[in-house]
Amino acid sequence: MSVSENQGKLNRRELLLGAVFLAGGAAALTRFVRQSTAGADVGPVFSPDQFALLEQVADTMIPATDTPGALDAGVPAFLRDMLANWGSPQSHAQILAVLDSIEKQAWSRFGAAFLALPGERKLEVMRNIDADALARQDPAYGKFKWLVLVGYYQSEIGATQELRYELVPGAWRACLPLAEVGRASAV
Amino acid sequence: MDFDAIVVGSGISGGWVAKELCERGLKTLVLERGRHVEHGADYKDFATPWEVPNRGCVPEDERAQHYPIQSTSYAFNSGSQQWWVRDSEHPYSTPAERPFSWIRGYHLGGRSITWGRQTYRLSDYDFKANLQDGNGIDWPIRYADLSPWYDRVERFAGVSGATEGLEQLPDGQFLPPMDLNCLERAFKQRTETDHPTRRVTIGRCAHLTEPTAEHIALGRGPCQLRSVCERGCGYGAYFSSLSATLPAAKKTGNLTIITDAIVERLDYDHAKRRVSAVRVIDAKTGEAHSYQARVVFLCASTIGSTQILLQSRSEYFPNGLANRSDALGRYLMDHVVGIGARGTHPGFLDRYYYGRRPTGLYLPRYVNVTEPDPGFVRGFAFQGYSWRSSWWRGASEVGLGVELKQRLRNPGRWELLLIGFAEMLPRADNRVTLDEKRKDKWGMPLVHIDCTHGENEQRLAERANRDAAAMLAAAGFENVESNGPLKPPGHCVHEMGTARMGRDPATSVLNRYNQAHDVANLFVTDGSCMTSSGTANPSLTYMALSARAANHAADLLESGEI
Repeated sequence: MSVSENQGKLNRRELLLGAVFLAGGAAALTRFVRQSTAGADVGPVFSPDQFALLEQVADTMIPATDTPGALDAGVPAFLRDMLANWGSPQSHAQILAVLDSIEKQAWSRFGAAFLALPGERKLEVMRNIDADALARQDPAYGKFKWLVLVGYYQSEIGATQELRYELVPGAWRACLPLAEVGRASAV
Repeated sequence: MDFDAIVVGSGISGGWVAKELCERGLKTLVLERGRHVEHGADYKDFATPWEVPNRGCVPEDERAQHYPIQSTSYAFNSGSQQWWVRDSEHPYSTPAERPFSWIRGYHLGGRSITWGRQTYRLSDYDFKANLQDGNGIDWPIRYADLSPWYDRVERFAGVSGATEGLEQLPDGQFLPPMDLNCLERAFKQRTETDHPTRRVTIGRCAHLTEPTAEHIALGRGPCQLRSVCERGCGYGAYFSSLSATLPAAKKTGNLTIITDAIVERLDYDHAKRRVSAVRVIDAKTGEAHSYQARVVFLCASTIGSTQILLQSRSEYFPNGLANRSDALGRYLMDHVVGIGARGTHPGFLDRYYYGRRPTGLYLPRYVNVTEPDPGFVRGFAFQGYSWRSSWWRGASEVGLGVELKQRLRNPGRWELLLIGFAEMLPRADNRVTLDEKRKDKWGMPLVHIDCTHGENEQRLAERANRDAAAMLAAAGFENVESNGPLKPPGHCVHEMGTARMGRDPATSVLNRYNQAHDVANLFVTDGSCMTSSGTANPSLTYMALSARAANHAADLLESGEI
C-alpha cells in the first residue's frame, strides 16, 4: 500500500490512531498527537497524509536529543516550501517516491503504516532504506536526505544550537585545538 | 565635445580607467550596459543561511531554462543570482561540438563584484614567453614597464599576501597575509622538503586585512572573514569598482555614469583617424543616443569589447575598427581548469580553525621555471585549500537518528583540494566572430565563439594532474582523486587576447600603451589586450595596464597629441 493510494481515505487517521494504541499504548499516542499537524498548510505538492508521514520520517532521521530535532527546526515545512519554490516536477516525483517507498517498507516489514510503528521500528525502516539507497547511489533518496539535512543544519536551530554559526566571525584563527572551537561550523 | 573621455564598461578595467582619468582632471563618462547597483544596499551579504532564498538554491527549472551556462560558476547561488545574466536573454553561439562558457553579469561594477579576488603579478617568464618559444607574438612590454603600476594598483586596491622572493611570481605591496591552516602548513612543509623549488604560500587576495587611511577614507573596512564575497561585501573589504575605484572617481566631481547604456558601435572619422562618436542603445527603451569625447576607452570585457569593435565597420575598416591586422577576435585564451587533485587526510583530527577565510593556498608555477619539461611549453600553478567537511557529508554517509547527530556535531576528516590553472597558448583559430544570421533583442548580431584546447594544453593538464596527485600522496593524503575532466574554455572566466598588444601593427591591434595602432584616441584595457595568458589570475594585470594606459592617454591629451 502506498501513500498516494491512501489519499482520500478519510478514515485513515482513525485507523492509524488505533494502530498506535496497539503498538505503543497511550505514551505513543500522546507523542503522535503532539506532533501531528492535522489542518496544517501542506503546500501544493504533499497530501495531508504525505505531510504527516514526512513529519514522522524527519523526526526519525533527526530526533530531538539534548538539542532540538528536525521537527523543532521546521524541516517538514522546509521541504514543503522547497518543493513549492525550488523543486522541479522531477524532484517532486522523486521526493514523493521516497515517501512512498518508506510506507511500502513499513507495510512489508511490519505489516503496518509507518506512522503506526513504534519509534525503534521507524528507525529500523529508515536505516534499512538509508543503507540500501546510499549503496545504490539512488538519486531520489540522495536528494531527499540532502533536503532533510539542509532543512535542519541550515535552519537557525540547526546552525546555532546543534552546530556553530557566526554571521560575522570577525577573525581568522588558522589552527586551533578543536576543543577550543567546539562543534563543527554550519557553513 | 560632451566629455573629455568615455569609458565603456564599469568592471575592474573600466573602474580603474575612470578613477585615473577623473583624478587627472578629465570629465569622464562611464557607460554601463547593465543596471545601476547601490554599493551595500543592493547586496544580500547579511542574510543568514536560513534567510537566503531557498537556502542558497536557485529553483531547478529556472536554473535549467535561464542559467544553463552561468550556473556552472562556483559562485552562482540564490544570494548572488543577481550578478549573472540570464543565458536565455543573452544568447551567443558556438559550434555544437565545441562549447565555450561565457560567464558574465550586466550591472554597474560588472564582474568586479563576483571575481575570485586572487591577485598575482605576471613576471618576465610570462612577458618573454611568446618570444622565447615562438607561440604568438612578442609582448611590447616587460615586467619593468608594469612593475610601478602594479605597485600603484596594489596599494590602492589593498592586496593581502606574503613576500616570497620568487622570480616567476614577483612580490608586491602587501597588506598582512592571512594564515595557512594546520593541514595546509603540513602540506607546505612536506611539499617544499620534497621539492625545494616548489613553494606553497597563502593566496594573495584583494582583501583588506589592515586598511590604510586611503581605504578608510573611501568607506572601506577590514575583512570580517564571512566568505559571502560573491553576494557583494557591504564592508567594502574586497576590491571592486563599487567599493573602490568608482567612489574615488566620484570624489573628483569629474565622473558621470550612465547605466542601461549598450554601446552598439563606435563611429570613425578617417580624416582625423579618430573615433568620433560612441553610439548607444538604451537597454530599457531602445532609444538611440550618441556621445562624443576626445578619447574612448573600451573596457567592456574581452568578448564585449571585441564585439563592439567587430560591429564598428567602416569603409576604412571593413573587418572591424582598428582591425587592419586581422588579429581582432583571434587568439582567444582562458586558463585551463578542471585539473588538479583532491584527497582526505587521516590526521589532525584534534585541530580546527575559526572563521571563514576568503582565500586559500597558492603553489606558483615551477614547470619550465625550475623544473624543465620537454613535453610541452609554459606551465601551470595551483590554487587550493584545506578544510574539514561539516554536516553535508551526512547526506552521502550511511546513518540516521541519534548517531547521525552525534557524528555530524564534530567536523569530518581534513580534505585538501589543488586546483590547477594552466596556461593556454594564443592560437589564431580560437576566435570570436559575429553571427550575422542571428540578432539579439536590440538588433545586434550575436557573438559566435569557436575555441578549443590544443595539444599543449592537454599535456599541461596531464602533468598537473600527475603532480597534484603525487604531492597529495606524499603528504599523507588518502583517497586521492584527480580533478577533471577538463572544463570547456571560458569556464575559468579569464577570457582574454582578442585585441592583443604588440609591436607590429600588421600583427596586433594595440600598441604598448593599449592604444589602437590605427586609431589614436582609442584604447582597450580589458583582457582582450593580453598577448599571452600567463599562469596567474589576470585581473591585477588588467588593473595595472588600465591605470598605465589611462595616464598615458591623459599625457597625450595634455600635450595635444590626441
